[in-house]
Amino acid sequence: MNQSKDPFEAAYEEQEESPPDSPLAPADFDRRPASPPSAAAPASQNAATAPDDEETDHVNPSDPSPSAPASASAKIKGKSKEEDEDEEEENMEVELAKFPASGDPNKMAKMQTILSQFTEDQMTRYESFRRSALQKATMRRLLVSITGSQKISMPVTIVVCGIAKMFVGELIETARMVMTERNESGPIRPCHIRESYRRLKLEGKVPKRSVPRLFR
Amino acid sequence: MSSSGAAGQSSKPAKAGPSQPSETSTKRKRGMFQKDLQHMMYGFGDDPNPIPESVALVEDIVVEYVTDMVHKAQDIGSKRGKISVEDFLYLIRKDMPKLNRCTELLSMQEELKQARKAFDVDEDKLASLE
Repeated sequence: MNQSKDPFEAAYEEQEESPPDSPLAPADFDRRPASPPSAAAPASQNAATAPDDEETDHVNPSDPSPSAPASASAKIKGKSKEEDEDEEEENMEVELAKFPASGDPNKMAKMQTILSQFTEDQMTRYESFRRSALQKATMRRLLVSITGSQKISMPVTIVVCGIAKMFVGELIETARMVMTERNESGPIRPCHIRESYRRLKLEGKVPKRSVPRLFR
Repeated sequence: MSSSGAAGQSSKPAKAGPSQPSETSTKRKRGMFQKDLQHMMYGFGDDPNPIPESVALVEDIVVEYVTDMVHKAQDIGSKRGKISVEDFLYLIRKDMPKLNRCTELLSMQEELKQARKAFDVDEDKLASLE
């Protein structure tokens, strides 16, 4: 489905409960104990950089990595081989085996216990959550058409994909809340989404247009 | 907000004119993110098969959201002439989850870049050894 980074990684990190305290290497960023478990669209290349793991098991044994001092770099090197657009395939197995929180054994353990207790349904949903992302190429095309400029750097595309995915998460979660308030069930209907959008606007999470939109 | 029905937007069909290159076309295709959005909606709590109108509506909302964000970022970064990541980070500074997520994505990207660079260097070394 997508070429983005490994959503599982990101999601794991997203859901950490502990405060952002990881004093680790620059790569290891604070895990957000995010209340909305929405992992942003991992538009960037995959995360698998979760510095802890070994993906070395999954990594092709053919990976030379002659000088891989830290296991982290070995892992990363291994990863980078597969790092093309579609690393999803490898990540499929890897992500589930991989430790969820990079670098923090407590978080890792916690995530592991949580994940191990998932039902099959929950697991597929979680997998969709992690792996789904908006296509970078499509997003880039959209950005070009909005700005009119051809020069959209890669980080911008990645960030926008991430922000958009989180926004979708907020929309859908709010829509679900609306449904439970109305005691309805089943797939989400457009009326729920409209109500959820209206609420997000009231909360100020949606940027307001300074000029009213014409010619929709 | 879309007053017109579920699907909202009246975006014109993708190829109305005779050979309009889709890159520069001002028309927006329907269903640009449709497949991805379906999986994403399922991941966030919707049904495994979301209603198509809902998906279309979410897509419209997201495109509008991105458009508004980009316009704001352009206003902020107008001096520079092109949009940079800092502009976006400034825009979402109030929204902690998004901000953290973006910084995480950016740092991961950096890390990957470094890793790839190191990997290439090693490959060269190997090649030279042989």
